[in-house]
Formats: sequence, C-alpha cells, structure tokens
Amino acid sequence: MNNSVDKNKNQIDLPVVKSDSKPSVWRSLDEYDNTNSDNQLKVKANEFADGAENFDISSKSKFSRRKFMALMSASSAMAMAACTDYRDKGEIVPYIDKPEEVIPGIPNFYASTLISDGSGQGVLVKTREGRPILIEGNPQHPISKGKLDSNGIARLLDMYDPNRLQNPRKLQESKLVDTDWGTVDKEIIQSLNSASSSGKEIALFTGKIISPTFAKLIEDFKAKYPTTKVYSHELFNDNNKQEAWNKSTGGTTYPLIHLDKASIILSIDSDFLGTDGNVNENIRQFVVNRDFENPANFSRFYQVEGSYTLTGSNADYRLRLTPENYLDVIASLVNHFAAKQGKQTMSGFKSLEALAKENHWKHEAVSKLINDLESNRGKAIVIGGKQLSVDHHIAINYLNELIGANELYNKSESDYNVISLSNDKEISSLASRMKSGNVGVLINIDKNPTYHLPKLFSKENLSKVKTVVSLNEFENETTNNSNYVLGINHDIESWGDAKIRTGVISTQQPVIAPLYNTRQKEAILLNWINNVENYSEDVYHKYLQSNWETNIYPSLNRSVPFKEFWFATLHDGVTTFNETSIVPTEFDVSTVNSIKPTKKSNYSVILQENYFIRDGRYAGNGFLQESAHPITKVTWDNCAMVSPATSKELGVEIGDMLEVTLNGVAIELPTLIQPGMAEKVIAVDLGYGRTNSSPIGNGVGFDVTPFMSEKGISNWIYTGASVKSTGNKYELVSTQEHHALDDEFLRTQVRKDEKGNVIGGDETFARARGIIQESTVEGYLKNPRILKEHTHKVFSITKDFEYNNMKWAMSIDMNKCIGCNACSIACYVENNIPVVGKEEVGYGREMGWMRIDRYFAGTPDDPIMSNQPMLCQHCDNAPCENVCPVVATTHSQDGLNQMVYNRCVGTRYCANNCPYKVRRFNFYDFRDNLANGYYKTESTKIMMNPEVTIRARGVMEKCTFCVQRISEAKQKAKEEGRALKGSDVTTACQDACPANAIEFGNANDKDSRLAMMRDHNLGYHVLDYLNVKPNVTYLAKLRNSDSLGVKSEHH
Amino acid sequence: MSTIDYTKNEVNVHGNRSLKEIDDLIVAPLDRIPDKRFFIAIGFTSTLLLIGVIGVALSLYYGTGLWGNNNPVGWALPIVNFVFWVGIGHAGTLISAILFLLRQRWRNGIARFAEAMTIFAVITALIFPIIHTGRPWVAAVYLLPYPNQHDIWVNFNSPLLWDVFAVSTYFTVSLVFWYVGLIPDFAVLRDRATGKIKKVIYSIFSLGWRFSNRHWQHYEMTYLILAGLATPLVLSVHTIVSFDFAVSILPGWHTTIFPPYFVAGAIFSGFAMVQNSLIVIRKVFDMNDLIPLKTLETMNKIILLTGTMVGYAYSMEFFIAWYSGSQPEYFTFVNRAFGPYSWAYWTMFSCNVFIPQLFWFKKIRTSIIPMFIIAIFVNVGMWFERFVIVITSLSRDFLPSSWAYYRPTITDFAILLGSFGLFFTLTLLFTRFLPSIAIAEIKAVSEGAQPSHHGGEDHE
Repeated sequence: MNNSVDKNKNQIDLPVVKSDSKPSVWRSLDEYDNTNSDNQLKVKANEFADGAENFDISSKSKFSRRKFMALMSASSAMAMAACTDYRDKGEIVPYIDKPEEVIPGIPNFYASTLISDGSGQGVLVKTREGRPILIEGNPQHPISKGKLDSNGIARLLDMYDPNRLQNPRKLQESKLVDTDWGTVDKEIIQSLNSASSSGKEIALFTGKIISPTFAKLIEDFKAKYPTTKVYSHELFNDNNKQEAWNKSTGGTTYPLIHLDKASIILSIDSDFLGTDGNVNENIRQFVVNRDFENPANFSRFYQVEGSYTLTGSNADYRLRLTPENYLDVIASLVNHFAAKQGKQTMSGFKSLEALAKENHWKHEAVSKLINDLESNRGKAIVIGGKQLSVDHHIAINYLNELIGANELYNKSESDYNVISLSNDKEISSLASRMKSGNVGVLINIDKNPTYHLPKLFSKENLSKVKTVVSLNEFENETTNNSNYVLGINHDIESWGDAKIRTGVISTQQPVIAPLYNTRQKEAILLNWINNVENYSEDVYHKYLQSNWETNIYPSLNRSVPFKEFWFATLHDGVTTFNETSIVPTEFDVSTVNSIKPTKKSNYSVILQENYFIRDGRYAGNGFLQESAHPITKVTWDNCAMVSPATSKELGVEIGDMLEVTLNGVAIELPTLIQPGMAEKVIAVDLGYGRTNSSPIGNGVGFDVTPFMSEKGISNWIYTGASVKSTGNKYELVSTQEHHALDDEFLRTQVRKDEKGNVIGGDETFARARGIIQESTVEGYLKNPRILKEHTHKVFSITKDFEYNNMKWAMSIDMNKCIGCNACSIACYVENNIPVVGKEEVGYGREMGWMRIDRYFAGTPDDPIMSNQPMLCQHCDNAPCENVCPVVATTHSQDGLNQMVYNRCVGTRYCANNCPYKVRRFNFYDFRDNLANGYYKTESTKIMMNPEVTIRARGVMEKCTFCVQRISEAKQKAKEEGRALKGSDVTTACQDACPANAIEFGNANDKDSRLAMMRDHNLGYHVLDYLNVKPNVTYLAKLRNSDSLGVKSEHH
Repeated sequence: MSTIDYTKNEVNVHGNRSLKEIDDLIVAPLDRIPDKRFFIAIGFTSTLLLIGVIGVALSLYYGTGLWGNNNPVGWALPIVNFVFWVGIGHAGTLISAILFLLRQRWRNGIARFAEAMTIFAVITALIFPIIHTGRPWVAAVYLLPYPNQHDIWVNFNSPLLWDVFAVSTYFTVSLVFWYVGLIPDFAVLRDRATGKIKKVIYSIFSLGWRFSNRHWQHYEMTYLILAGLATPLVLSVHTIVSFDFAVSILPGWHTTIFPPYFVAGAIFSGFAMVQNSLIVIRKVFDMNDLIPLKTLETMNKIILLTGTMVGYAYSMEFFIAWYSGSQPEYFTFVNRAFGPYSWAYWTMFSCNVFIPQLFWFKKIRTSIIPMFIIAIFVNVGMWFERFVIVITSLSRDFLPSSWAYYRPTITDFAILLGSFGLFFTLTLLFTRFLPSIAIAEIKAVSEGAQPSHHGGEDHE
C-alpha cells in the first residue's frame, strides 16, 4: 500500500538487504541473485509505514528479555494466585460443525426486504458470526438503490430489544400469562371455528399489505374461515390523494413523478423529502437538479406550508400560509392559467395578491412563481401533501393539468397495491359491528388500533369481541385489551416478499433464527389454516416458495429452472420484470366544480408524522427517540410548534403548557416557539404519549390521536381550535439551544459608512464566523469565485507534516444535504454509540458522533434554515491533540485524528479545545445508565459491531472516519496485492446518505471527486481562519432565490 | 497626620514580652485541652469535609455525570475549585519567601500561618485535577512520566502536564520550606514537652537542633536559599495554571494577559484568605500583640494593589477583545458581561474591583470587621472569576449550534463545600498541633531583639 513512497527515504538497514554482498541465507536462487535489485528493496522498504524505521533497538532498555521474562513470570504467578476470576472472561468456543459461509471476522451480507413497516425497502443485512450488526440499503434494488431511511437503519435495535414479546401469552384471570404455542393455537382455532360456524365476523386488522404471498395467504384464510374480513389501516396514508386521482382521471394509483426532470417544483404542504411518499427516492431525484457542477440548470423549489417541515427548510422560497388558505393558493393559480387557456376557473377564492399581502410574502417570490410555472411548461410540477383533503388534491391535479405537468408523470411504472388500504368508513363500520357483538374474533396483525384509533378500538369496544388476538413484536396499548398476545418475528427473522411497484418484487429472508419463542405472523395464520399439531419452522418458507413456483414464476417467463431462479432472487433480494402500467391522463374538469373555500376560523391544528417515531411504532427505539427533530432539534418529546408572533399573542414561552381544545377534546401540550411557522397554526407530531410501550417509549411526549376526527379539513388538518396558556411548565430537551432570532445580542453589530448607510454586519454568528457559507445561484453564475473573494490566506509558522501517501478526507455537498439525519443514525449503529435518554440530553450529553447543526438566518417570521452535518474534522493541526496530557489522541500518517480509548484518562481538555465541539465524553457508563440498564442486556450486547470498541465510562470518543472500515479495506488491498485506493472505503454516514452528499476518500488522489470538491470554488472549511486545517470540506449551498436572509446582502 | 520617621524600624510586635512569655503565648494552644469553641468549629468543618467525601465517593462510583458538566462545558466546578485553591496557596510562599528576601519584617508574625495555609490549600487543590478526570484510577498513573515497556510517554506539549509538574514542585518546595522553618520551633516544643510520646515526636522532627550558633548559621543560609528557590515558583505556578487556558484556542481563554493576571489574582485571593484566618486566630488565641493591626493593614494594601491589577486585567481583556476585530473573541467578552452568565460576571467584578477600593480609606483598612468582610468578598469574587473564565468561554464558543448553559448540581456543591471543609479542618488541626507563629522569627523582630542606637528606649 505504500507503493508511491520515495524509496530512498525508506531504505532501512535490515540484515537481508546488504548492498554489497550476497545473503548468507536464502530461500531461492532468485532471492540470492536479486538481493540488490530495486525490487527487493522496495518490498522491504514498504514493509513498514513511514516513520517506523526510526525505531532504534539500541535506544531501548538494556534490561535483558530473559531477566524481564523471569520477573514477569514470577509476578504473573503471584498475581494469578490472587485472582480467581477475570471480569472480561468469556468462553470462546470454536465451531464443531463449521458453517460453510461463516469465516470468523469476515462479515456476510444477506439481501432482504423490510415488510412490516409497509415500506418494502430492499436491504442488505450485515452479519458477523451469524449476528446481524447492520441493516443498510440494497444497492441492487431498483427502488432503494442502496439507501435506507433512518427507521430502517434503526430497526436493528428492535430485533435485539429486550422488551420483545418472548412467548405467546394468554389472558387468565385478567392477567396476560406466558403459555405455549400449542395451547394458544388450539384455543384460537376453536374460537375461529365457532365464530365462522355461528356466522360471526372474523376481522383481520393489518397494516399496509405489500406482500403478494401474504395476500394469497389471506385468501386461503378466508376460504377456511368464510366470515373473515380484512381491514388494512395506516395512521398516515395517501388515501385522499389516491381518491382524488381516481375522481379526476379514473386512474387507480397516483402516478410516480420524475422529480429529477422537474425544473420548478411547487409543493403545497407536502413533506416529500421527509415523510411523504417514497422519501429516499424523492430525495435522490430532487437533488439531481441541485448539482453545483451544473448551476445553470438548478431547479427552483417553492413550498407553501403552515408548519415547518424538513422539505420546507430546503425550499428556495418558502411561503408561510395557514392551511385554511391552501385552497386559495391552488385556486388562484388555477384561475391564472385557466383564464389564459380559456378553461374552467374556480370561483370564490382569494387572489394570490391578496394572500401575498396578508401573509407578507416577498413580492418577488409570487411573481417568480407565476413566471416560472408559465415559462417551464412540461418541466414544472405541483405536489400536494398526502395529508390534504380530496378537494385539495383534485384542485392540484387540475393545476398540474393546466401547467402541463403530466409530462413529468412516470408512464412506464407506477406504485402497486397488493391490497388497498381500507377507508375510514370501513374501519368505523368494523367498530360498530364490534359494538353490536357481531365480531367473533379480532386478529390484530402487527398493529396497534387502540392507540391509533382510541375511540373505535377502546377497551370497552374490544371487550365486546369474544376473542381478541394480537400478533405483535412488542407489547402495546392493544395487547393490553387482548385475550391472546402472540410474539412475532422481526423482519430479519422472517420469510416474505414485497411488491410496491410494478415490475419489481423483492424477497425477504431470515438472517438469524428467531431470538425468542416467537413465530412469524404469516406462519401463525398458516398454522390456523392448516390446523396441524406439529408446527415446523419452515412452514411459511415452503408456502412462500410454492406460491412463487406456482403463481409468480410462471408469469415472469424466465428461461432458468425455478430452483435456480429462486436462489438467484433470494441472493439479489429482488427480481425485476416487464410489467406495463397505464397512467391515465384525461382529466375530468367537472370534479373541480364542487370545491368550496375553507371557512375561516380560529387556530388551525396540523397533526404531523414524526420523522423518526412515525405513527408511534418506533416509540420504543432509543436511536429514533434520541434523534433530534430536524427543525426543532427537540428529542424525546413532541411539542406544539407555534410561530413567535402567535406565542406573543398567547403570552407563552418555550416549555409553557398550552391547552389546545379541538372539537371538545382538550389536550395540554408544551410550547415550542418555532420561527417560520404560519400565524395561528399549531403543529404537533403524532405517535407520542405511548402508555404501554417499552421502558424507553412509555410516557414520552403527548398523545394527540384523540384530536383525530372526521370534522377536520382532513384527518390531519383541523381548524377552529381554541388555545390558551395554562400556566404550567414542562421541560423540553433539545440538542441545540433555542435563541430568539431577532435577539440583537446574538447578531453581529451593524457596520455603517461615513454617510450612515449600512454596509455590513447584522449577521447571524453562523454566517459572520464562516460556519455557513452560501450563495445565490445567480451570484455564483456571475462570479464563480464569489465565496473566495473575501478569504485570506492563513499560514502556519511551523512546518506542516507532509502526507505523501494516503490522506483521508471527506467532503459534504450542502446542495444535496437535506438534513434527514440518516447519516447520524447509521453512525449510531455502526459505531456502537450509546443512547443516553432525555435527562442526559437535557444536560447536553448526547453522544452522537455526527450531528446535523441547524442555523437560521433572516427574520423570525420568515427565516431561512441552513443545515450542517458536523463531525470530527480530522484537522491537520488538530487542537485537541496537543493538549492531551497522556497522548490519548494522536494523528495517524494517513491523516486520521485518532482516539486511544485505553490511554484516555478523561481530562476533557481535548473537547474543550475542539472548536467544532464534536468530541463526546462518557460521563457515565451510558449503557447502564438509561432506564435501569435497558441497553445493557444480553440481547443488546450481541448487537454491537465487534469491530468497534465499546467505550468505558470516563473516556472521550468521537468520529473515527470509520477507521474499522479503513483497516478492513487495507487488509483487503494487501491480500489482493494492490495499492489502497480512496474509493475502497465508504463510511457509514456516506453509505446511508440518500442524497449521496458525502464523499470520502484520499485527498492526495488528485483525480478523485473528493479532491475536485476540496479544490472547488464553493468548497470551504468551517472556521478556516483558526488554521486548524480541517479535512472535511463543505460545498457551499446555492440558493435559487435572490436572498440569503442576510439583511445587508454583501455576498 | 503624624510624620513617619523612616530611620527607625517599625514595630511589629507589641506587648513588650520576654522571650519566655512569647514562647508561652505561642505554644499555649498546643498545651491546653481545647475548649468548646474549638470542637464546635472542627465539628462544623469536618461535617463539610464529610459532605465532600460523600460527593467524591458518589462521583467515583457513578461517574462524573453526577456533576453538571456537559458537552461544550467539559471543565466546570472541579477546575474552578482547583484554580481557586491553587490561588489561595500563593500568599503563603509569597509572604514567607519573597517578603523574606525583601526584608519585610512585618511578615515574621504571619509567615508560619500563611505557609501552612499554602500547604493545605495546595493539598485541597491537588485533589481536583485527579477527581475531575473521567478515570481517576488511571489518571493518577498515566499523568506521570514513568518508563515503561510500551514506550508510552506523557505529552510534554500539554499544559495539563506542565501543571502536574508545576503544582507538585510548588507543593514539595513549599513543604520543605515550611518544615525547615519549623525545625527550631520543634526544638522549643521538644524542650518544653512533658509527655513521653510528645517528646519522642518533637525530638524526631527537630532533627537534633540545639540552638547552637552553627545551627543558626546553617539554618539562615538554608532558609535564604529555599526562599530564593521558592520565589520563582510563586510566579511560575499560577503562570502555568493560566497556561491551561491561555494555550488553548478558545475565545476568552486564548489571551496573553493571563499569566500576570492570574498571578496577581492568586496573590489577591491568597492574601484575603490569610487575612481572614489571621483575624480569627489573633482573636481566639489572644495574639493581637504578635500580629498587630499594622500587619493587617499592610496586607490590605496589597489586597488593594492586586485587586486593582486584576481590575486592570479585566478591562484590558475587554479592550483587546474589541481591538482584535475577532468576532468570536469580542462576543465572548460581551457575552460574559451581558449574556446568561452576567450575574456571575458582575458578582466577580464588584467583589474584586469595586469593593476592595474601600481600602483607600485608612479607617476601613484598619478596622477589623470591615476588612474581614471585604476579604470575604474578595474570596467570593475570586472564586467567581475562575467560574466566569472557565464556564462562560466554554458554554458559548465558536459554533452557536453547540452552545449550552451549564448548571452545577448538588454533587458539585457538595464537593465545593468539602474542599472548604478539608482546608479548614487541616487549618484548625494545625493551630492545635504546631505553633501558628514562628517562635524563632517573631523573637527576632520583638522588642530589644535588634541592635539599636538608642538602647531601645524610644519605642512607643
């Protein structure tokens, strides 16, 4: 790996390499003859890294080794006599029957699919000695393309969660007690038989079903038990969008959109980069037109929203608007284009000018929007949020029709529904049948209806069903009301298949035997169909295989025999084939007629999907609970987000409790003042306030599902709320302090010229200190060196170390980074980072090695948000290194800033002296500290990545640039006898980034993309004037707008 | 106002006592069974000490997480306490060494006590660098440069390591200096001792001292040399402690004014602590004559001087922060005065700069109660100075994203109380086991001890 080393420099005086004589000992004639050749020298020279040849044996102790050994053995013998046990003692037993594919120390990867969350993401599961240690995206999967959302990455923890249901349970004397599968199977089959023979309904309550084989299984179940009905429900769904599309065009599924071909995107409250649709795909396509190398073709993105979403934070123009007026925006745009095209208009709505005036929108934003939509026909698209009503979506579909957006519809493939979700009416009819005693058995399959639909599935209603069976991974609110609670397998312990798109089916295979006495949900149902005494583990495996063989395989017209096809598909985790999808484009204008403006009323409430906890399913997952909300940076809580002006109106500060009353339901919520919220809007995340989750998820946040009713604009948007301050206080913890944006104290001073004109200053610190550097696209096109104009050359007075070989470095493209946090969670999993809990985050002791910093600029009412992934910068002149008294942090020759945990005594001086504050200290044994050692159980211990040391209490830690991966790549290169390349290594954060914003590699490889980014005009280092020479280069964000939110725009 | 006659030695000991009477007076507390007041006092201080011991024990058992420290604020109360106590430890050696070399005779009455305080303050201070680390059990070993088979060495670039050497050297030299000064007094005690055990102990420690001329000659020379050795240490210790901050790159720490400013501050707080304690001692042990008001007044003058120097440093820091044009630097100082920790800043500023200015008034600097209160304020202020320096700079440094407010926890306060408990317990025990005033030295400045042109008759 040291091929490029100057060989003269590395000549070392080893006995074999004598320049003037033949060797006295030789292994071959070649060696004898070639002793003096360059070749030989090179091999020897490269044996040691730079600097190692300075090792001079004569300078070492004269103390003879023999003597030392004698003393050593004597003292060891004495020490041994005193020791009876060693605390790290464990048994290491070699394989007796060694599995063919397992080599200790070498990870195996298995392709699988995440099915239980309904996402169908193709994944690779990394296993070491049979233990899954990382879930990442499957690069061969045509939809995932090697990426996985943060929930998917964090799902690994769920498998090892000590709180999983470990045995089937049965209600006895109003208590759930562990029992065996034979008993529950027998009893439930009896109940099913009696229900079906007495004509009572058997209700299967499931989430989104994406598995074709599971759908067939349900058909079989129905055949066996004819009174069976299936209800599939998701708390967050796009039913309205689909219904509107169906009404507008007659099509069954809303088409996929070529976001990568869109020049102008207008989103009406759609969080398509956060929670709406296939997020990873959306991000990947969105950033295509955010390419700093192609600034002339930058897309422009407008967001209209009432809350502040991750997507909104990435908008070039963000137009704040209360949800009541969404229809007005759409209608006024419709009217503008319809009038021009002589088509039907919508009447009774406000004009865009009036809205702009009411909401203080920038004049240029509105005029640009209309102009952009007009001049980019066929390249502009309007996206509606899935939470909007059917009316909104119909109007949006019409607007898209008018601006020619159908050219951006994907006409070759579309989303695929194995079974469509039930609508609200179907669900409530189930509830009323339950009430009237017409439901004999309710089988809750991996759902939590009591929590999601508290009115319909209350304890009282469920008690009217004779047998309630819950098939869940964890206890939840519904299992409390069930007669049987059956533990099911985790995704990576299960077999299955998934089809979420036409022409693509992915497969799921287990990578580990079930940790506990659980079964996969399909196998449980199958057993009830087959009614066999002896359950076998592979019952669903066989079923799946035979379904593929008889139903799926024949339709694919493959030339290979089934077995081969099957194993190849399992290996790849996915199979693709040609399947036509028809995207109707005929728009039915008459559907627009009935749309009326939303009535104006008091406060609006938006119930949002949380980026990490989702519908509450992940409340027990510490990684996800501890992830900071991308906008508010709050962890371990949800809160009522209100604008600064609204908070003044209500007279509340951060943490004051607000009582929000909506349709007679009053809930107290803590206030969070969020700059950029629309006035009189309260946004709250759903999914919190779980009461029967694990010790991690119980009592975190506030449950706002009781707000959900049919009285809103949609299930998620409500008007007419009344809000008042209760005077109570609550502690919200966040990973960043909340400063008032208009606090003069936290801005730089205004600079004026002699005439008193403002010439500069009044900047946020993030910009004044060069932490965030940005430019407008226009400014950059005019002057590519716009960011380099004001820089000064900083020089060192000492000689810098020369990196002649490798020099690891990273660059992050801020044009692509949307701030989703996937990098941070992947880092938690890869590097065994502990979860610390709410109290410790409150102290400011969260342990994440990679965090997303968030800065606001502009005004509190209309801020501009900038993200910044922050991790150890591996500075050449690292200020942390020289202050450590015990040399526990050092610099490697390939440019890594290293931590030596064994040597660290925990003075924390390094963390103090780190200007980026990326060092994290183990104030406690954090694994033992949270919820009575919740993450220090036998099961979570084996989740740890064996390549990464578990840090002890009292030592410092920080990003290592995934040094374990670098070492692995080094070994591999050595094995293969080639030079190590920068591209041989990818870091965990890089792998996880859905936007591919992170580049990692060798800075000395001048042909690499990394080197290009380091030298780019937009490349900058944070706080470069400190001359610490960081090695993480940020590519300045270009905003396709005319403002950077700085009052005196001098950039 | 009377004119001062500079041709005459000032009077440092009053009461016109004979040498024996001086002996009796100084040794009296060692001979008698302590009264109730002593037991109440030591009961109080040892309770404080116990609170501190519990705080430290809990911290060792559970981890440093029991303190308020967080991610930007890596150093907090333990380091504040460390710097505070090292500062207190400065007055002793300054009084005994520098003032000795400068032939300031008024120092003789207070040198012993001041030196003892130095020792106790440094002992108290030394606890903190060890317990504040994450792994004290290895820190105590790894911080020492011992030869080992791994060839791992300490990092001589790190100011923390300089600290280890500076403070331990200072402690060793101070201890030796103190002990050397004690030898003749041990001999006095030995000669007076009636009990057998006492006699043996004092005999051992007095090293066979027989008050011979030759002994005195060697003693004086040794004392002079040690004073010479200790003098640079007075300046170096706090200089190096200040390097802990000045060598870093943090705004508010990275300043060149720190060494002199820290030394001035250390002397300032050290004198205040000595003055406080002496006021109690001279009252309780009836030693008003040996430690006259004049001595206290002189100390107050030094407090006034160093306080003003500290005030100058505060102002100059501000000026330079503005003058540097460095935004983070400037903000750090504005933030100190007007940010979330402004309460600490103004506590510091008033206690250290404004209040000691009262010593310009002779009436105040010669009245016991006002001077006692002012010195307490000085100590409070100096503790807050370290608090302001350590905490405010860390809590708001370069990246606003990482800013966080620091709050000490109950354990932090327990350890702070414990440090006072340890210091005062040691001090109280000292007053009962060793002569609080150097018997030999006080005799040298008592009336009639010095040759005089007038036969000593124009005293008083």
